[in-house]
Amino acid sequence: MSFIDDFLASWREYREPGYYDSFDYHWTMTVDLDRCTGCGACVTACQAENNIPIVGEDALARGREMQWIRIEKYWEGDFPDVKLRFIPMLCQHCDAAPCETVCPVSATYHNQDGLNAQVYNRCIGTRSCAVYCPYEVRYFNYNNHHWDAPLEQQLNPDVSVREKGVMEKCSFCIQRIRQAKDVAKDEGGRRVQDGEVQPACVQTCPTEAMAFGDRNDPESQVSQIMSDERAYHVLEDLNTAPSVVYLRKVEGDVV
Amino acid sequence: MASIDRRDFLKLVGAGGVGTGAGFMLREAIKHPVENLVPYPTPPEDFSPGIATWYNTVCSMCSAGCGISVRTLEGRAKKIEGNPSHPVSQGRLCARGQAGLQVLYNPDRVTTPLRQTGERGSGDWLPLTWTEGLAQLSGRLGELRTNGQGDSVCLLSAGVGGHMHGLFEQFVTSVGSDRLVYYDYDHPHELMAAMNRLFGAAQLPYFDLGNTHYLVSFGADYLGTWLSPVHHGLGFGRSRQGGDGGRGRFVQIEPRMTVSGAAADEWIPANPGTEGILALAMANRIVSQGVYQGEDSDAWAAALAPYSADAAAEQTGIAAETITRLADTFAESRPSLAIGGDGAARHSNGTSALTAITALNYLAGNLGVEGGLIFNPEPVAGQGAAARHASHRSMLALADDARQGRIQVLIVNQTNPVFSLPAASGIREALAEIPLIVSLSSFMDETTAMADLVLPSHTWLESWGDNFPEPGVGFRAGAISQPVVSPLYDTRDTGDTLMMVASAANPDGGLSWASTEEYLRDRWRGIFESDGAAPEEDAATDVQDDAADAAQGAQADAAEDVPAVAAEGAQADAAEDAQVDAAEDSTAVAESVPAEDAAVAADPDPAGWMPDAFDEFWNSLLRAGVWGENTRADPGPVTVDASVIDTIGVDAPEFAGSSESYPFILQPYLTETMHDGSGANLPWMQELPDPLTSVVYGSWLEINPATAEEMGLRDGDLVDIESPSGTISAPVLTYPGIMPNVVAMPIGQGHTEYGRYAAGRGSNPIEILASQMDAETGGLAWNATRVRLNPTGRRANLVRTSGLSRDLGRGIIQTTASGEEEHASTNLRSIPITVEPA
Repeated sequence: MSFIDDFLASWREYREPGYYDSFDYHWTMTVDLDRCTGCGACVTACQAENNIPIVGEDALARGREMQWIRIEKYWEGDFPDVKLRFIPMLCQHCDAAPCETVCPVSATYHNQDGLNAQVYNRCIGTRSCAVYCPYEVRYFNYNNHHWDAPLEQQLNPDVSVREKGVMEKCSFCIQRIRQAKDVAKDEGGRRVQDGEVQPACVQTCPTEAMAFGDRNDPESQVSQIMSDERAYHVLEDLNTAPSVVYLRKVEGDVV
Repeated sequence: MASIDRRDFLKLVGAGGVGTGAGFMLREAIKHPVENLVPYPTPPEDFSPGIATWYNTVCSMCSAGCGISVRTLEGRAKKIEGNPSHPVSQGRLCARGQAGLQVLYNPDRVTTPLRQTGERGSGDWLPLTWTEGLAQLSGRLGELRTNGQGDSVCLLSAGVGGHMHGLFEQFVTSVGSDRLVYYDYDHPHELMAAMNRLFGAAQLPYFDLGNTHYLVSFGADYLGTWLSPVHHGLGFGRSRQGGDGGRGRFVQIEPRMTVSGAAADEWIPANPGTEGILALAMANRIVSQGVYQGEDSDAWAAALAPYSADAAAEQTGIAAETITRLADTFAESRPSLAIGGDGAARHSNGTSALTAITALNYLAGNLGVEGGLIFNPEPVAGQGAAARHASHRSMLALADDARQGRIQVLIVNQTNPVFSLPAASGIREALAEIPLIVSLSSFMDETTAMADLVLPSHTWLESWGDNFPEPGVGFRAGAISQPVVSPLYDTRDTGDTLMMVASAANPDGGLSWASTEEYLRDRWRGIFESDGAAPEEDAATDVQDDAADAAQGAQADAAEDVPAVAAEGAQADAAEDAQVDAAEDSTAVAESVPAEDAAVAADPDPAGWMPDAFDEFWNSLLRAGVWGENTRADPGPVTVDASVIDTIGVDAPEFAGSSESYPFILQPYLTETMHDGSGANLPWMQELPDPLTSVVYGSWLEINPATAEEMGLRDGDLVDIESPSGTISAPVLTYPGIMPNVVAMPIGQGHTEYGRYAAGRGSNPIEILASQMDAETGGLAWNATRVRLNPTGRRANLVRTSGLSRDLGRGIIQTTASGEEEHASTNLRSIPITVEPA
C-alpha cells in the first residue's frame, strides 16, 4: 500500500518542525530607510501594476483607501529641530503570519515561495485577517469599483480585478514572479536568477532604496543587504518573522 | 371532439407556417450581433495576445526628459517603467511619470475638433471635421499674412525642445510672425541667468549628486519637483549608501520643509528670500579663511566684505556659528555642491541669489569635477528654445499686446496660462480681447475653455517627438519619442496640425513634410550623417546587440504608424545590463548608444548603403530609446570675469504687502503630484497622498503649530487667505516644518475646468499672487506675496490617509547614529518559534 506510505511520509514531513521555514524560494524585500525620500513613486507604480481601484474622495474620507503599499510619516521633535521620517509599509509576508491562522476559510495561506497569498475566490469577507494584521496592510473592498471609460483599458490583464466583499493586499507582484518562474522552467528548469524579477515598487524606486530577491540564495542582493548591521524588522517583538527587512535610517550625521 | 375539416386544417397549417416564418425573421432582426471571443484571429504583426510588447519613448509629464519603456498588450498601454539604458532615468520613474497612462486614457479628453457656438467660456461646443477646423484656422492665417499682419499671430505653447522647437519656429516664420512663446510656470529663468552672468553660458548645468559628499541646497526641492527629480533621486541614493567614498551628507536651507528637506541630514529654516545672503556669508568665510587660492581672491574678498556671518545671521535668522560651520564643511568636503532652486529663486532678488549660490561652487573648486557642477555641451538640437521661454514680465507684455489689439490669432498648445498666471496679470481679460483663439490642447483646461476653436492634439503617448534632456547629464544624449498605441480618438499630432495649417496658409513656407515622423527622420538623418562620418565614436554594447537580436522578429517598418519595437526579452536584458553599468558609474549607461557599425560593415559601398544604413540607425534608435555619447568633455579651467565679481551682491528681498497688515509670507509650492496644476486631472495623482501631509483630493494651508495655537486654529478650520491682490479660502493644516511667519500652500488644485477629477476642487494660490518679479529676469517672484488669515468660523473636509503622525516609541522607524556599529544584528533568517515534535 505504497500510496498510504507516501501519504504518511508527507504527513510526517508536514508535521516536522521547520517545515514552514524551508521554502522553494524565499522572496524577500529590503528597504533602506536612509535612501527612502517618501516620494510615493512606489505607491503609484503598484496602483498601475495591480489594478488597484480609484476609490474616490468619499471612500477615502471614511478611511477606505486602497494602497497595497503606502508611505507612513512620523514627525519627531518640534520646530525648528524637527524631523520627518518615512517608511514604506506593505504586506510583510510574515512567515508566522497572524492573518493566516485566523482566516476561517483559508483564503490567505503561505505558499511554497514563502509568500503570504490571498485567494480572492475563497474570501468571504469576515475581515478578521485585517484585524489580526499588526501592520494594517490588508484592504477590504467595501464597494464594487469602476473605472471611468476608457481608464479600464489600462488594467493589467495579468492581475484579477477584485470585487466587493473581498480582502486584498500586496502580493509581491506574484504575477511577475510566476512569469519569471515560467521562463526559468522553459529554459531547462533552471532557477530564477537574482535580479530577474522585481515587483513594480522596487522597479520604479528613484533612489534605489528597495531590493527584492530570494534569500535562500546566499549570493543574492537581498541576502547581502540583510547582513548589514542596520537591518531590522518592524514590530520585531511580535515574532511575525516578516519577509520585508528594513535598514535603519542614519541620523545625526551632521558635522 | 371538435371536427376540423380539410379547409380549416389547411388554413391552420398555412397560418402556422407564416407565423413561424415571421417569428424567425423577427428573431433574426432583434438578436444581438455576433461577437467574437477572440478579437484578433489574425493579429497585427507586432502583437501576439498575452505577450507584452515594450516601446521605448520619452516621458513628457515634466521637462526632465526621462527615457521610459511602455508595456503594451493587445495595442493598449498597460504600464510605464523607466528605460534602463537612458542616462536620466536609468530605469527609474516618479509617481507622475507612472500616471502618464491616465493622460492617455483620461475620460475627459477632447476627442474631436470643436467650435464654440455660444459666448466664450459658455461651453457650447459643436463638433466639426478636421477639414473644416483646419480650413478655418489656415484661412485666417493666410488672410493675415497676405495683409502683412502675420506678426499678429502668436503661438503660445508649453516648452518644446529638440527638433520640435525647430518645427515650431518654422511654423511661426511661415505664417509671417515672430511670436513664438513658451510658457511654463516653473521654467528656471533665474538659474540660467545666474549661469550666464558668472560663466557666460545661459544653460542648465549638470549637478552630479551621485558623487558628491556634501550638498547644500538653498530651497531647491531636488527630490520632489526641481529640474530632474528622478535623476536627482538616483544621485541621492547612491551618494547616501551606494558610493565608496563614505556616506554623502545633505543640508537643506528653506523656510518650509520640502521632500528634500525631510530627506536631508540637516534642515535649516532661513527667512524667506535671504538664501542668497547666506550663500555670500559662506563665500566670505571661504575666501577670508584662505581656502580659495585663485588670483582674483582679492576681488572676491572686496566684493564679499559686507557679508559677514554676523550680519547674515541677523538677516537669515541662522546662528553665525552655524553659518561658519556650513562654510567650513562645504570647503573641506571634497567634492561638495551648492544648488539653489525655487525657494531661493522665486524672490525679487532671485537671480542675484542664485548667482551667489552658484559662485560658492566656483570658490570651493567644484566646477567640472566629479560630484560637482558640470557644464553641459551645446545641445544637438533646439538651440534658441530657451530664449523663447516667457518670463512673467514677457507674459505681461503679451497680455498688453492682446489688449492693444496687436494679436489677432492666438494658438495655444498644452499650456494653461489662465490657471498658472496670477489674476493680477489680467491674462483672462486680455485673452478675451483676442479675436480668434485656437487651442491645440488635449484637455478642456481653463485656457482652452476660452478658445473659439479646438483642434485637439494627440496625448504624448500617441505622438512623435524627440528630446535632448534639459538639464543634460554632462554629455550629449537624446531620444526619440514615439507613439506607443494608435490614437484613441479623432485627434492629430501637434506637429502634423501645424504643418497642415502652415502649408495651407503659406504653400511656400517650407513646411512640406508629410508628417511629424517624416520631419524627425529628416532631422535625425542630419545627425546620422554628421556622426556617421566617424562611427567609431559610438560604442555598441551588449545592451544594443541584445535589443537588436531580440527585436528582429518583431521589427516593424518604421514608415508605418506602428514603429519598430524592442521585444520584451530585450527589455529585460537591457534592464539587467544597464543596472549593472549604472551601479558602477553613472556615465557608463550612455554607452548603450545606437551604433551603425554593423550596417557600415555589411555594405561598404558609400553610395549604396546610405538610405538603408539610416533606416537601420533609425530603427535602432527607436528600439534603444536613447542616443548619445559616453564621455564627458573636459571644460578646462573656468574663470569668472573680474567685472562680474564686482556685481556680486544680494539685496534684501521685497514683498508685496506690508508686514503690519499682512503678517504672513505665502509660499505656494509645486507638488510632485499636480506639479503646476497639470496633474490635477489624473485620478492616481489625486489619490496619491501628499508626501509630507498625506492629504488627498484637496488643497490646504500649512501653518506652524505654535502660530495656529495662538490664533486658535485647528486642522480643518477654513480660513480666508487675503493678499493685496485677492482672497481665496482653504482649510488650515498644522505643519511642524514651517517657520512661524510663513504659510505655505500647494499649487495644483482650484481648477474651474479640466475634467471631472480636477474641476471644482480646492483653491489655487497662484490666483492671489501679486505681480512681484525677479529684477533681472522678470520671472514671477511667487514666494514674495504677504497674506493675512481671516478665520471664517467654518470647517472644511480635509481628507488624510494617515493616522497618528507620531511614532510614540513604537520603533516603527528605527534610526542609527552615524558610524555607530554596535547594533546587534538580529538573526533575520530564522523563525524563533519551534514546535515540539510529537
